Amino acid sequence: MRKRVVITGMGAISPLGHSVEELFRSQLEARSGVGPITLFDASEFPTTFASQVKNFDLGGYIPDPQRFDNSGVNTRYALAAAHQALGDAGLLGSSNVDSTRFGVYLGAGEGIQDFANLIPLIRRSYSPEQNKVDTVKFAEGGTRDFHAGREFEQELHTTPGHVANYFGLEGPNYNCLTACAASSQAIGEACEIIRGGEADLMLSGGSHSMIHPLGVTGFNLLTALSASKGDPTKASRPFDLHRDGFVLGEGSGMLVLEDLDHARRRGATIYAELTGYGSTGDAFRVTDSHPEGRGAIACMQAALDDAGLAPPAIGYINAHGTSTQVNDRVETVAIKKVFGTGAYQIPVSSSKSMLGHLIAAAGAVELITCVQAIRRGMLPPTINYEFPDPECDLDYIPNAPRQKRVDHVLSNSFGFGGQNISLIVSRFND
Amino acid sequence: MSASSRRVVLTGIGVINPLGLNATAYWEGIARGQSVIKTLQAFDPAGMPSRIAGEIPTFDAKNFIDKKDRKSLRMMARAIQMAVSGAQLALDDAGVKKDQLDPTRFGVEFGAGLLPTELEELGHASLASSNGEPGDVDLKKWGAASLPCIPPLWMLKYLPNMLASHVSILHNAQGPNNTITESDVAGLLALGEAQRIIARNQADFFLVGGADSKINPLSFVRQCLFGNLSTRNDAPEKACRPFDRLRDGSVQGEGVAVLVLEELEHARRRGARIYAELVGFASTFDRNRSGRGLARVMRIALARAGITPDQVDHVGAHGLSSVRADPWEAQAIKEVFGESSRPVPVFAPKSYFGNLAAASGTSELAASILALMHRVVPPTLNYEEPDPACPIPVSRSAQPGTHPHVLKVGFTEMGQCAAVVCRRWDE
Repeated sequence: MRKRVVITGMGAISPLGHSVEELFRSQLEARSGVGPITLFDASEFPTTFASQVKNFDLGGYIPDPQRFDNSGVNTRYALAAAHQALGDAGLLGSSNVDSTRFGVYLGAGEGIQDFANLIPLIRRSYSPEQNKVDTVKFAEGGTRDFHAGREFEQELHTTPGHVANYFGLEGPNYNCLTACAASSQAIGEACEIIRGGEADLMLSGGSHSMIHPLGVTGFNLLTALSASKGDPTKASRPFDLHRDGFVLGEGSGMLVLEDLDHARRRGATIYAELTGYGSTGDAFRVTDSHPEGRGAIACMQAALDDAGLAPPAIGYINAHGTSTQVNDRVETVAIKKVFGTGAYQIPVSSSKSMLGHLIAAAGAVELITCVQAIRRGMLPPTINYEFPDPECDLDYIPNAPRQKRVDHVLSNSFGFGGQNISLIVSRFND
Repeated sequence: MSASSRRVVLTGIGVINPLGLNATAYWEGIARGQSVIKTLQAFDPAGMPSRIAGEIPTFDAKNFIDKKDRKSLRMMARAIQMAVSGAQLALDDAGVKKDQLDPTRFGVEFGAGLLPTELEELGHASLASSNGEPGDVDLKKWGAASLPCIPPLWMLKYLPNMLASHVSILHNAQGPNNTITESDVAGLLALGEAQRIIARNQADFFLVGGADSKINPLSFVRQCLFGNLSTRNDAPEKACRPFDRLRDGSVQGEGVAVLVLEELEHARRRGARIYAELVGFASTFDRNRSGRGLARVMRIALARAGITPDQVDHVGAHGLSSVRADPWEAQAIKEVFGESSRPVPVFAPKSYFGNLAAASGTSELAASILALMHRVVPPTLNYEEPDPACPIPVSRSAQPGTHPHVLKVGFTEMGQCAAVVCRRWDE
């Protein structure tokens, strides 16, 4: 029989709180983390609001935050959330586990580009007549203006490297970056590393912020973000008829995944079991998901098969639910295809209605939400659900949380570019 | 690696490298035994401390991609264009027909790095909001006037997951699709993960690759700032000299290598030519670069392959030509191979074409597989003066290959390590 993988620790830095408890309580209070962008002057951007992390101080978690002065928030949030998760699992500074059997698999995003130096540098070296940058001028300015340490910290392997180094996790070390599916995919593959016997423990999750000038620019150009002119807290409205795009969020979610036998031997508290993982590719277009949800259907089905569950066993679905026209319609179609008429009996909600879209970190924070739903017997709502869309006709837990005991929960994450991930967490039973 | 009865073999190699534009030309380049590192040509490197690179100036994705698909090339940064080209070569090499593949059992996994923006795409935007003084960008003007000057699909051209996305779209690969972003070990990690996925029966056929190019002004400036590049600008072909006493830094390169991984029975059913079997893999983290993690990754990979060090034909080293990293790597190799009954030669392919970063793992593994096929251990170029700090048997001239296994190792400066063991298919 294959190894069972359980969740024994969690941590979160999010727009709705800097702990798992606060994150979940805020969701049950139906609060929105969205407000005007204060990280930079976005007043003339098409989108002027986002779901920012508030009052974050790495020094509240680790004694030597100055070591990470050059690091971006992707690394800083990750260290804080990892510290929480390891502490929660009773593994901080622990000498009773084999650190070579303890790995890291993150879906962490890139560090933030030095916009304030890059753009002037291009300005100085660009000739509009020839549409060419003078590379000699660019190189000369770049070697002077860019900060070597901060440039290095933008590299994509720095976050998992810092986390492993700081906490002494010497097992397998991976980072995947599959857009909005990244941290879910990381958790799924980390689970497989334990199932395959390559590690006993994996710290897995994600960390990301794209709330910076080039990030907002990129998404605005794709017209993927809500550009609502009304109350920003109303902008993220998954499954609502008047949804007009997603709202950028930021943060980190981290989970300790552990081989069940290992967890038992050290007397760990088990929050839930990770029972199902499905991973597919849309192979359709880089700009759109498949209109009939081909990849989404296949990955939900694969997760159910992996967990050995029939569709009616699922008590709650935490949707990808981005609040874009296409995602929410296609995800609804896909859920109905997989769950048949039973789909109408399964409560579905989108944490993104409150948190915004944490991009690479979204899946991890949402999976933590699913674990809490099982533990607390409460399902978080989809807020801002006011105008039903005839094409989105499931039970989206509108606007208020719901009390319900659930044993198996499905979480979806679909990446821009066609990576689809479904995870199933289950109430732990011996 | 799980105790699975499903074996994973390598049935296709697609390479685009400074040495050549397909796997045959790549091997011929290695057999020639000459470095193709030259003075940088893609742009004027004056003002940079390092002005040399392993480039592919003749690369043109249009030569590799079906006519009907060429319009999508506009949405692809250079590394993505290399990825889709290498994938096509790998599929051609595998001799697979579309109707032999179940799309839902066909996965794609790539190692990728940061994809830098083409500076010209932000040119007009910069004029509208900056006076050129460092730190001066008027964000109000940026939002109102600059943002609309940028191509609408700008961001999609630079997302790392787009290598695997585009490959999956071009070949209707609907199985698992992932992108590993772990710098120089990304490709080897992708290979290990694809093997896991096939072994656990979630795919039968996989395109696994790495593609990267830092031969552009922005990436090159950043690499220069990181400060580990060779400045032997007057003798480019001598610049990359792994484990040699006179090494002074690594050299940037560009390229792609895509490998076809396939479940053994699937390969047999379609009568595929099999190059090698992937028999061992490991991933570790070397904390504070003590060397323990790097030695451990090799030991675990060998143990999973069920072989001892003296059964290894040659070690495919990471061999950066770095002043600090080479001794670290050499000590770890010595720790693992020091007890071997015979000296196991160490081959460092970067001496030919430089560091291909996210493409280095699969490119260099391809070199080792081809070496196994040809029963030759190629020389490490520019290994002229042994460094006592690197006490390992570096291959100095071509020598007969005597054993069927290769151990390929890779690492990052942060401490991520990976190792792969492949066995030549002799059936």
